[in-house]
Parts: sequence; C-alpha cells; structure tokens
Amino acid sequence: MQVKKDVKVQKNTYKPPKGLKKGLSESQLAYALIAPALIMILVMALFPVVRSFWLSLFDLRLNHPTKSKVYLSHRLNMERYAGDYPYLEQIIKEAADEAQGDVKIELVSVRDKILHINTTLMSDQGIKKQYDQVSDLQMRMKPVGETLQYVSIDGDTAKSMIQIAKEVDEQLHKIKDTPGLKQIVKEIRDITKDAVAGAIIVPNFVGLGNYAHYLKDARLAAALGNTFLFTICSVSFELVLGLLVALSINRSFKGRGLVRAAILVPWAIPTVVSSLMWQFMYDGQTGIVAHIFAWLRLIPDSGYLLTTRTGAMFSVILADVWKTTPYMALLLLAGLQTIDASLYEAANVDGGTKWQQFWSITLPLLKSTMLVALLFRTLDAFRIFDLIFVLTGGGPANSTETVSVYAYKMMFNQMDFGKGSTLSFIVFICIALISIGYIKILGADVLKD
Amino acid sequence: MALLKRCVAVGLSAAMLVSLAGCGGQAQQPTGAPTAKETPAATEVPAAQDDTKPAEKVTIVFARGMDSTKASNNIVEAFNASNPNIQVKFQEMPSDSGQQHDQYVTAFSAGGSEYDVFDADVIWPAEFAQAGYALALDSYIQRDGINMADYMEGQVSALKFKGKMWGMPKFTDGGLLFYRTDIVDKAPGTWDELMEMAKANKGKEGTEFGFVFQAKQYEGLVCNAMEYIAAYGGQVVDGDGNVTIDSPETIKGVQKYIDIVKSDFVPNNVTTFTEPESHTAFMEGKSVFIRNWPYQWNLGNDPENSKIAGKFAIAPLPKGDARSAATLGGWVSMINKNSKNPDAAWELLKFMNGAEGQKISAMDGGLSPTYLPLYNDADVIAKNPHFGDKGFVDGLKAAVPRPVSPIYPKLSEVMQIEISKALAGEQTAEQAVKNMDAQMKAAVADAQ
Amino acid sequence: MEKKAGVRFYIFLTTFVFIILFPFYWEVITSLKAPTEIFNGFTLFPKNITFKSYQSVFTLRPFASYLWNSFGVASLTTIYSIVIGSFAAYAVARLKFRGKAIILGLVLAVSMFPQIAIISPVYLFMKAVNLRNTWMGLIIPYTTFAMPLAIWNLSTFFKEIPFSLEEAAKVDGATPFQAFTQVIIPLTAPGMFTTAILVFIAAWNEFLFALTINMQETSKTVPVGIAMFRGQYTIPWGEIAAATVIVTVPLIIMVLSFQKQIVSGLTSGAVKG
Repeated sequence: MQVKKDVKVQKNTYKPPKGLKKGLSESQLAYALIAPALIMILVMALFPVVRSFWLSLFDLRLNHPTKSKVYLSHRLNMERYAGDYPYLEQIIKEAADEAQGDVKIELVSVRDKILHINTTLMSDQGIKKQYDQVSDLQMRMKPVGETLQYVSIDGDTAKSMIQIAKEVDEQLHKIKDTPGLKQIVKEIRDITKDAVAGAIIVPNFVGLGNYAHYLKDARLAAALGNTFLFTICSVSFELVLGLLVALSINRSFKGRGLVRAAILVPWAIPTVVSSLMWQFMYDGQTGIVAHIFAWLRLIPDSGYLLTTRTGAMFSVILADVWKTTPYMALLLLAGLQTIDASLYEAANVDGGTKWQQFWSITLPLLKSTMLVALLFRTLDAFRIFDLIFVLTGGGPANSTETVSVYAYKMMFNQMDFGKGSTLSFIVFICIALISIGYIKILGADVLKD
Repeated sequence: MALLKRCVAVGLSAAMLVSLAGCGGQAQQPTGAPTAKETPAATEVPAAQDDTKPAEKVTIVFARGMDSTKASNNIVEAFNASNPNIQVKFQEMPSDSGQQHDQYVTAFSAGGSEYDVFDADVIWPAEFAQAGYALALDSYIQRDGINMADYMEGQVSALKFKGKMWGMPKFTDGGLLFYRTDIVDKAPGTWDELMEMAKANKGKEGTEFGFVFQAKQYEGLVCNAMEYIAAYGGQVVDGDGNVTIDSPETIKGVQKYIDIVKSDFVPNNVTTFTEPESHTAFMEGKSVFIRNWPYQWNLGNDPENSKIAGKFAIAPLPKGDARSAATLGGWVSMINKNSKNPDAAWELLKFMNGAEGQKISAMDGGLSPTYLPLYNDADVIAKNPHFGDKGFVDGLKAAVPRPVSPIYPKLSEVMQIEISKALAGEQTAEQAVKNMDAQMKAAVADAQ
Repeated sequence: MEKKAGVRFYIFLTTFVFIILFPFYWEVITSLKAPTEIFNGFTLFPKNITFKSYQSVFTLRPFASYLWNSFGVASLTTIYSIVIGSFAAYAVARLKFRGKAIILGLVLAVSMFPQIAIISPVYLFMKAVNLRNTWMGLIIPYTTFAMPLAIWNLSTFFKEIPFSLEEAAKVDGATPFQAFTQVIIPLTAPGMFTTAILVFIAAWNEFLFALTINMQETSKTVPVGIAMFRGQYTIPWGEIAAATVIVTVPLIIMVLSFQKQIVSGLTSGAVKG
C-alpha cells in the first residue's frame, strides 16, 4: 500500500534518463544498484538472526566431545571407540576370569554385553573397515583426521548401545566395592562410559528445550531486570537532561561552536575508552569521582560505587548518561530549531508564560523528534554490552549483568552456543517488541521516505 | 544500458581495488607476518611422514602466551642445538588466559592441527582431555622412563584425568602469604591469628590496611575461596568427580572469607581487587599482609616499583581447622591430538618441561620449577635466592589443585557468582554453599 | 525564547562543559603522571610531567599495530559503505521500483538488530571461511551495519538535488553516466563526506565484533587492545590513560573540524519537518 504511494510521488516529478529505457527498465537498474547492499544485509544480518534461532534449538557446546556441532543423526566417534575398545575388551576378560562367585556372574554378563556391542557394530562391513583403518593409524601414533573420525550408525543401534552401557554401569556399580577388584571395576566403568556411551553422538536437537530452561532461570530473570532498570533509568535521565541542555543552548551566544564541539567529544570517544576512564575514576582507592562523592557524603565510603549493587548500577548509568546525553541534546536541538519562532512571538503577544509556551508549543512540536531519539536510545540501551562488559564485567555478584553480557558469557566463556544463542535470540525478541511498540506510537510514517 | 554497464564496471572495479587494498594492507602488516609465515610452514610437512626416518627435518608450532623474558627463546635455542632435525616456531597467543582458552577451543574444536605443542593453564587439562583435544602421554612417559615423582604432586594430579597423563608440568604457582618484617616479627599461623595481627598492626609504618588479597568476581576469587575451603577441611569435588561441596567445613571456610572481607582492616573496595590492585597497595606500603602469587617476591623487591623492597618475607598461608592450603596455579604443556608430528612434539615437551628446560625458565624467567630437584640446584638458587627459602617452597608444596573437571569453567562460574553474592552480603555462607551444591550437581548431571 | 545570554546562562554553560570535559582532562593528566603519583592522592596537575606512559604504550605493547588495524579496518569500511551505500541510496532516492518500502523497512530494521543476536552465526561463519583475525572479518560485518546509516543519509542528500540539473546536463548533450558523475556526484560530495565521518567513527569504536572475531594480538583493533591492557598481574592506569589520549585526540580534531557535518548527519534521520 505504501509502495503505491511512493510510486505516485515519483511519477509526478521524475522521468528516467533516456538511456535506461533501451535495455534495462528503471526498476531493473534500481534492483541492480541496490543488490550489493541487500545481499550484505541478507547474508550478514538477516541470515544470522535466523541461524541464531536455529542454533538455539540445539544443545551445542563447542568444548563438548559429542555436542560440538549440529547433529541431526546418530554417529559413532570411531577415534574414541577404536582407541579404547581393545583395552576394554582385554581388561573385562581378565577381570571376568579372575573373579569368584556372584561377582563373576556379573562380570561375565558384563563381558558378554560388551562383546555383543562390538559384534553388532562390526557386522557392518563399512564400520568394520573404518575401525581397522582408525586403529591402524592409532597404533602408529598418527592423527586420525576428520574424515575417519566419525561414522554414521542407525538410531536403533545407537540406542541399544546406550542402553547396554547403562545396564553395564549399574551392574558394575553393584560390585564396585569387591575387595581386590575395586581398581579394575572402576577402570572398566570409566572406559565403558568413555568409549561406549561417550563415543555415541546423539542428535542434539532439543526443540524449544533451551527456552524452557530459561523460563525457570533465575539468572536470566535478574539479567532482564537489570537490563530494564538500566534502560529505563539511563534513557529517562538522558531525555530530561538532554532537553534541558537543548533548551538552554537554543539561542545565539558567544562560543556556541565550541560548546557544540565539546558536546560531541563524549559521543565520539569509543565506549570502551570511556568505560575505562570511568572505571579509573570510580576506583575506591585511586578514583577521583569516588572520593568526591564520598566527600560530598553522597556515598558512605569511597569503595561503595563498584562494590555494591546500587553503587555499581548507579555508576554504569552515570557513565552512560555522560556519554549519550550530548547526543540526545543535539537531536533535540535540531528538532527545536525547526520550530517556527513566530509561534512563540504570537504566544508572547497573548501573554502566555514560558512554562505554558513549553507545554503548548515546544513539547507537541518536538514530540516526533523526541520519540525517534527515544527509540534509538532505548534500543541502544537495551542491547548494551561494551560499557558494562568493560566497566563492571557484570559484577559485583552479577548485579549489573545485562542479557547481552549474559549471552556473551554463555557463548564465549562457557562455549555453550546453544544456550547462548537462545539468550541472544531473547534479546532480539525484546528489541523487536520495543521497536514495534515505538513504531505504533510514532505511526507508520517513519517507514515512509 | 550503457550507464548500467559502466556503473557495474565502475562498481566492480572499485570493489576490486578496495579488496586489493585490503589484502595489501594485511600483507604489509609487520606484526601480521608470523601467521602468514608459520601456518604454511607447519602444513608443508608431509602428512604421512615416517617416524623411522628422523633425518628428515620437521617443523612444529609451539603456542604460548606472551613471554616478556628471554626464557622461551633460550629454551628453544637450546632445544634446536640438540635436536637439529626439529624446527620450532612460536605462535604467540593473547596474554589474557581466558582469551587464550577460547583461541585453543576454537582451533581444536575444528580439528585444527596448526599448533603442535601448547601451554595450558593448570585448570584446562581435564576439559581438553574430555573434549578430545589433547594427546595422552602415558606411552611416551613410560617409553622414556620419566619419573613423575620428580615433579610436584599437585601439578601432576591436575594433569591426571581418567587415569591418564595429558601433559607435562611447566611451572608452578601457589597462593602465599607475604608479611612486612618491619611491622611483625613472624607470620601468623592460623587465619584467626592473621585477623588479630592485621587488626592490631593496621596503621603502623604508614599502613592503611592490615591485609589485602583478591575478592573481585573473577577466577582469582575461586583461588582465594579454595584456600579457605581447603584450610577448614572442605572440598569442592572429590576424586571421582562427585560434587562434595555441601559440608560444614566448606561453610566454615567460606564464612572465614566473608568475615575477612567484612572486617575493618581490609580496603573498603576489596571486592574489586584482583592481583594488580592488591600488589599495588602492598608495594605502596599500605598493607601489613598480602595473599599473592610468587611473582610478588621479585616485583616487591624491585626498588623502582616498590617502597617496601627488602622489608617483607614469605610464609605459607595460615592454617584453618584442618591445615594450610594454597591454590595451585601455574601452567602445563600439552600436545594437540591432531598434531601431525606427535613424536617431535613430545621431544620438545620432554626437553622444555624436563630438567634442562625448567632450569632455563627458572634462571631466565624467574618461574618456579615443578621439577623438584631444581630447588637444590646451586645455579638456580644463586639466581633466585627465595627458591631456597623454606617458607616459599613449603607454601608451594602445600598447593592443592582446583577441581579437576571437564566442566571446570562452569564450576568456576558458579563459585564466582555465589561466593560474590555472599561477600556482598546478599546471602549467608550457608546459602551460598547450598546454591553452589545444587548448581554444580545440575551442571555435572547435564554434562554426562 | 530567551535570546539574550546572561551571566547565569554562562555559569550554567561552563559547568556543563566542565562536566562533559572533566573525565578527559583527568585522563590527560593521569597519562602524564608517574605511577606512584597515580596511586597517591589527587593532584590536579602532575608534579613531575613524564612521558613514560606514552613511551611504554608504543615500546612494551603492540599499540602501533592496534592503531594500524583500526585505521585500516575503519577506512576500508568507510570506502565500501560509501560505494555500496550510494548505489542503493541513488536507487532509493531517484528510481521507482516495486518493494521499495519493504527494502527500506528492512534496512531500518537492521539498524535495530542487537549485535549479540548476530554474533554467534557471524563468528561461526568467519571461523568456517577462515576470516578470523583478518581485516575482512571485521570489514564485512561493519559495512553491513553501516548500511542503514549510509543509505538513509545518502538518499536524503540525493533527494535534495533538483532533477532539473540532471535534465539540463542532458540537454547540453551529456550522457546519463556523465550526468551522474559530473552533476550528481559533485553535488552529493558533502553528503558523502558527512556519512563517511559517521561510518568511520562507528567502525573505529566498535567492540563486540572485534572482541570475538579478531582476538589474535596481531589483528586486534584499538578498543579491544586497550580493554586488554590490563594484564593478569598489571593494571597500567598510566598506559591506559596515554592510549586513551592517543585515540581520542584525532577524534576531537575531527569533531572540531567537521562538527557541522557531523551534527547534520546525526540529526538528518531523526528530525523531519
């Protein structure tokens, strides 16, 4: 519907260059011109969001032996199996021979089960061949390589192997305290866990399981709370202060250019750098801001700022307000300058007070600028990462951890990309909801060019 | 049509030019050179190289963190002199240990063979072994008759996982107590004594604090907490990997840590302290005691940086109800399971972390050896007199490893968060321990 | 509104500017202090000015390499963004085609995407195509995220050029291509310049992508490099301050020289008549 509107506007004013009409229509040219930008956006922005969602449906951990990739079918880690099985077979046979009475019965049964697993696997010629290749390489201390490392097995075999491994473990658990066999039983248990159960790769698709996990996660609830608290406080301070500054400097005075340049400095400094600056100034021992605040009795002692929940949240908000109020002020100033001065003159003639003028002229006319500025600031604040990551690292005791920081830690410290992607997709959903909310208020005309 | 063609042509060539410039820019990067040079060198080695022909020259890549001393270079030079067929290339990793960890995980989880030998923090071996990144070294150790009893016990146990050895100890670190000899005559024997002495002597000789240590929410918090927990007889994880943290002993240990953080003889912002904050306070003469790593000794005795050079001594950390315990730190070296030259890699490892290599790193790098006979080596002691100091060596020997677990990063995170909350007064020691117990058990079950 | 600036106004202004600039002033003097002075007391002027921190930033750390990486990445991102962005902006401003509103909506939506929601696939992608620790690994995502700004800003500028100019050129016998290069491009040069400054600053300051994609010492950019100055056993406030000053001074010069362009670029999207 908007497309039509646009087309109409264009039609009245513009005739395409003649040369274009020969081979390529105007819209084809337009698509060609817009293609590079569009491709980048699709590949580097849209596709990743979709993939994030896809990854969030898996139990994906980069440092886990059987979960480091997206697996949709069952596989066997041949490297692991071939590496440990011969030894397992040997020690279980020895143990079964050595044992007496009831323990012997258990061990013989365990032995038969383990042999059964191997026979089943080796009945497949392909698997057998790969097994031989891998053990040959391992005998010579050679790396196995990616192509030989895994072999596909069917789901039933995999499930029965896991089931048997579990039974074996229970059986061994019963006899784990047999005198004289303690050590070897423990070893058999460990290797069975490792070489049999640990070698089977089960599809790691978990559906919405990660989301279900986070529904009950207290840490996410706290992180969401912190994020909202930070967003609401910092954005409202910035709006009020920014408006105050914009109203004050919306006049001609000496040194106006200088003031405007000074305002741009915090905006231009990298956030990381400003975080480090504030971290230094907040420090309980060497920080000047901490000491001034303590001297003014704003805080009980100079260590308060970065060691307590309230202090740390306040510190983060202050640093953000310092950095972005100027930006807010500039946007609002630009908005103020579009307001026709004659409106105020007319109001003066009518005898309205400054305050009335502000409420009846400035605010309504500034509304759309304010909303756009608020939209951008809210989104930026909600996805805040670098300021908090550098200034507090989410501490103390996670009291300033936002959802983005939590997601980052999950992905890059814990290497859990399944859960981390879930968290990051939750941020995405929140941002989408906030945007939709604002755009509803603003009306669809934002999208109109 | 003409316009479009030209536009496209201009656009493409502009893009090409820019990409060329981009490539050129990288090639010119002086510091970028190592990656460009080293990786091909490593891959040029034929994959199916025969071990029985050692005459052929092989190149292996050794990844390690930044070393500002000459020790690493000297070790490799000495190694190359005795092993002319093995060429060693360095790959410098980020100095931050967390980032280094991430780099390794990224490379190894993709099955990469770009690093043959790598240095690892003492808390990584179990994780790397479980994930299948590291080569088990038992057959090499047996073949070459290496006596592991010559190495520090704590380090060896940190490398042992599922009954196998996954690396060789390189150098050790352990929490130690440093005290001002111009203020107190002797080190406190117990944590309670330390608290009394810190309180009584705070303010003397211009000090502002009695005791400084690390309590920020980071890995160092786990190190500090482990010392209290072990001193009072608690344990986090037992030898079989079962979570055993929930005990009255652990609660008592954590409570002691809380008591000290809340006392009036520590800085009011001690919960933001990492090593640098604490050593700065100590070296500026502001504290009577400090809990820190061995590096404090050399740094504190450098009159350029320190106001208390020559005025402090070392002791093992105080005892709790059970004993004196220090957290084991330090680094080990491991071999990438996908290394194309495991034999050559082992030769380097054996040399570097054996008597000769460790002697060089002790002499040139000032690192504390894990190879015990070196503590009786006259050359080493001449260069590092504190290695002959009983308090120092006993302190290091008392070091206990942090939980040896493939999910160590998760366990550490749980401890950091819950203990931080306890130190901030948001929960009691008992609640913290209960929470840790529940979360750790869930994490262990989840990892199975 | 009140047009005359009184004393109270100037007091307010001075306080405001002081608060805005104080952290930076404090950083400058910290960078000139010796380490012991940093840790002892709060002198408003360094007792003994020393340039040791500056020296060690360049000698003990690969700061020059950080600067070079940042400069390279930010410059190339700027060039790519302007080229690709002006194609798209030209189409948006001057040509009619179906789906324009959808594409514009998409572009706007991209500017709202949280980076954290994109980082893991981008990271895995860069890992798969071996672009980690290269300039390209950063330039590609940076250019993508500069697209909304570039397209919106540039199309505003394209729209301001009267169509009659192009027509006139053609009447004079110019080909459409000549009209584009000789009439449109020169006229939009200021707009491109404004956009370029904004894109450059954004790329220069970016942290999350740089932190995850380029972690190797040799390929770190300035923000990541400075954030990691703090080592396990050192907390070099003096060096951090010196590095801060070094990266901020060029930005301040840029801001002072081009403040008009920056302000117009920043506000063009938000303020509509």
